[in-house]
Amino acid sequence: MDLTLTTPTILLAADFAEYQSRAIEFFSFKYQFVTLALVASIVVGALCGLVGTFLVLRRLSLLGDAAGHSTLPGLAIAFLVVGSLSTGALMIGALVSSFLSALAVGLFSSGPRSRPDAAIGIVLSVFFGVGIVLLSYIQRVATTSYAGLDSMLLGNVAGITTGQLIALIVTAVVLSGATLLFYRPLSLSTFDPEFARSIGVPVRLVHYSLLGALACSVVVSVQAVGVVLVSAMLIIPGASALFWARRLPVVLGVAVIIGATSGMLGALTSYVFEGVSTGPAMVLVASAFFIASLVLGPRQGVLVTMRRAGDAAQRGGEHV
Amino acid sequence: MYELFVEPWTLGSWMWRGTLAGALAAIPCAMIGVFLYLRRLSLTADALTHVALPGIVAAFLLTGSIEPLPMLLGAVSMGLIASFSIESLARHPAVRSDSAVGIVFTAFFAAGVIALSVFVEDAHIDTQCVLFGDVLGVSDDTLWLLGVTSPLIVAGVLACFRWLSIVSFDEGMARNLGIPVALVHYGLMTAASVTTVAAFEAVGAILAVAMIIVPAATAHLFADRLQTMLAVAVAHGVASAVFGMYCAIWFDVSAAGAIVCVGGMLYILAFLFAPRHGLVPRAMKRFARREVGTQSPREVVKVDAVRDAL
Repeated sequence: MDLTLTTPTILLAADFAEYQSRAIEFFSFKYQFVTLALVASIVVGALCGLVGTFLVLRRLSLLGDAAGHSTLPGLAIAFLVVGSLSTGALMIGALVSSFLSALAVGLFSSGPRSRPDAAIGIVLSVFFGVGIVLLSYIQRVATTSYAGLDSMLLGNVAGITTGQLIALIVTAVVLSGATLLFYRPLSLSTFDPEFARSIGVPVRLVHYSLLGALACSVVVSVQAVGVVLVSAMLIIPGASALFWARRLPVVLGVAVIIGATSGMLGALTSYVFEGVSTGPAMVLVASAFFIASLVLGPRQGVLVTMRRAGDAAQRGGEHV
Repeated sequence: MYELFVEPWTLGSWMWRGTLAGALAAIPCAMIGVFLYLRRLSLTADALTHVALPGIVAAFLLTGSIEPLPMLLGAVSMGLIASFSIESLARHPAVRSDSAVGIVFTAFFAAGVIALSVFVEDAHIDTQCVLFGDVLGVSDDTLWLLGVTSPLIVAGVLACFRWLSIVSFDEGMARNLGIPVALVHYGLMTAASVTTVAAFEAVGAILAVAMIIVPAATAHLFADRLQTMLAVAVAHGVASAVFGMYCAIWFDVSAAGAIVCVGGMLYILAFLFAPRHGLVPRAMKRFARREVGTQSPREVVKVDAVRDAL
């Protein structure tokens, strides 16, 4: 590795005006690609927040990680088959390999000598390894440009095409509609699968539909956040929302808001500071939200717990 | 045969160096992996490999050098911070333990990537190196680092074998026997971080996960004793490193990726055909029982349970 240290330009106050003007530019809707990026990052955050909350509640958080990494071989195979970066082909490829990975996790988790956590790790790293082999093959043989594939790793929301944006919005609308429509079976099978089964909810079907929804949302999100960090956008909004509310509809709402806000602020950050990828920027903003929720959240947040412990001690003192 | 198996070795030193680096990385990874796997910490291993990146970047920003020692220290301390935060978060009643892993390592990794791209020139290339590694272009420094850390970790595991095995199988008993469980746990985390950093330049962050988890999972399908499991895991690691190098050269593709693919193939073969715990032998046994019609009542209940589950 050849590394050279640069001046940390990010901290220089002299550049502040420039950053400010870039931030204003970002929200001015002057350039079409910036507007597309803004809309895309908000929708990605909201969509991941919605789907991710169910994953978090079902203790499947890290399945999102596997599904994210596993899009890579699908993207590469689609590129090899079609020979160009056509949005449709890439999405279908990513969708198939992402869904296959979720099924593979299920398969390797079954059986007497298997550990679900190891199954996720195996699927994630082996699919990613296959993807890297294919990428290196593409770099050798490709005649057309494959530059878009590289940006899939850490995300580049500014490079989003109209087709991708339409797919993203359609997916978000369909999945939100499906959540509303199938709210009862979804929530029942999430909180009490035994009871849900006993009153005739097709628990297994719900599970596989959720895996399908996960694959779809990962696929439409990777252009913005990248395959490596898409799991963070799935996990963090849902996990943060659990500190603010008890009832599922409210939790979902808070998660969507946190996700959308992180998406927007992340895209803004990566626009203002050149060279910062969108994926990591969104994830850092979301982590800040998580820390704030952990400390301030009214439901078992650190501050509330401490105050309650203090109150209890005081009351205990009065009784004595 | 000659062209396929022998010629690559005569073409230059890179085949020797690559295979050596791969094998030296694979052996400690496999040994540490067995204990992480048994302690159900496979995904913490995933987290540790990702967290090595911000550790290395932080060490680089503080010292301005890419000498092995500061890098190791940076990665190990960041790894300990991360595993400590994961455990504290997981204990919180409102946070699911799997979410805790997912939140901590993605946040650390994101911070590392951003620090790399903001403070360090040519960040794009180095992000690639960090993610994928570069087995064929492995440097002398890395080889030395691997050559020193890998025997040290193997020796450490062998020296603490009794403690490690008791802690892995029965933490309560280990506590009763007066074994310092926390020390063993964090020692294991430290060893995992050290291995990751050493394996970093060879195979990259994400593929180091494969070298830690896949051998252990494969070995678990074969072995009933810890010693056998360790041996099978190490054999799996070395075999994937060597065959992976061959595949990389035959098909001219990424060596790190090829090593992981070979490891994955071996796991799938074991999952299907391992003598007693493989899918096919188990199905055959079930089938044979049903044919003869000598099911014990217990077996019938089991079959029914399986049918219900399906």
